Amino acid sequence: MKPDYPSPPSAMSALGLFFLALGFCIPVLAVEEGDQAPAFSLPSIHDAGDEINLSDYAGQTVYVDFWASWCAPCLRSLPLYNELYLQYRDQGLQVIAINVDNPAEDGKDFLLDTPLDFLIPSDPDGVTPEQYGVIGMPTSYLIDPDGSIRMVHVGFRDGDIEHIETAIIDSLARQSP
Amino acid sequence: MNTRIRLLAVIVVILGSQQACTEVRAWERGNLAREEMAWDPDPLESALNDHIFFSKEASSGGNNAAGGGCGCN
Repeated sequence: MKPDYPSPPSAMSALGLFFLALGFCIPVLAVEEGDQAPAFSLPSIHDAGDEINLSDYAGQTVYVDFWASWCAPCLRSLPLYNELYLQYRDQGLQVIAINVDNPAEDGKDFLLDTPLDFLIPSDPDGVTPEQYGVIGMPTSYLIDPDGSIRMVHVGFRDGDIEHIETAIIDSLARQSP
Repeated sequence: MNTRIRLLAVIVVILGSQQACTEVRAWERGNLAREEMAWDPDPLESALNDHIFFSKEASSGGNNAAGGGCGCN
């Protein structure tokens, strides 16, 4: 008698195709150079800190960095970003280093030993890195005064800071006085 | 009928196990980056073992790859 349901081989191959299709369904919508920077509003990692809103810094050069306490190159980059911030903040540079530690206490522990002067929002649920399509840690985005992304920088190696500084200087020159 | 129930059971199990197929994103690798998650918790000892291995076997490489789970390599 002919069965009234699909025979096992065809059902199995359909299932196989289904799971193959699932594999291609991972959304990769990374923000690229030239795109408008996605807006965000996040609480500060410091208990007393205010909400940090990217749109508050429209018209300025903003350097957005994603970091976590378990990411060794991130921890190497942050003190260097602090030096850049202190050097260029009078010219309008803003640095926002989004901490993605979950729990956020891990990030706070790192900051106890390494105080940083720029803005540090906390995003333990990873909403912002998802928005930006972060593919590696650390990833940073240099945002021009017009809100477009000038540079995407993934990872952090020796010598990268000079390259970043040059891009920041270029971007600062585009600010309207 | 029995075959149909069995097929259904297989499909349910496969669908149920799909929750394990999520991608670990770069910012979610905090636990993977922990020291105790490394294949070789003691880098010095594993380097020594590698050295002894390639000296004895006259072969090297292919045993591990660079990267600490932070997604930066």
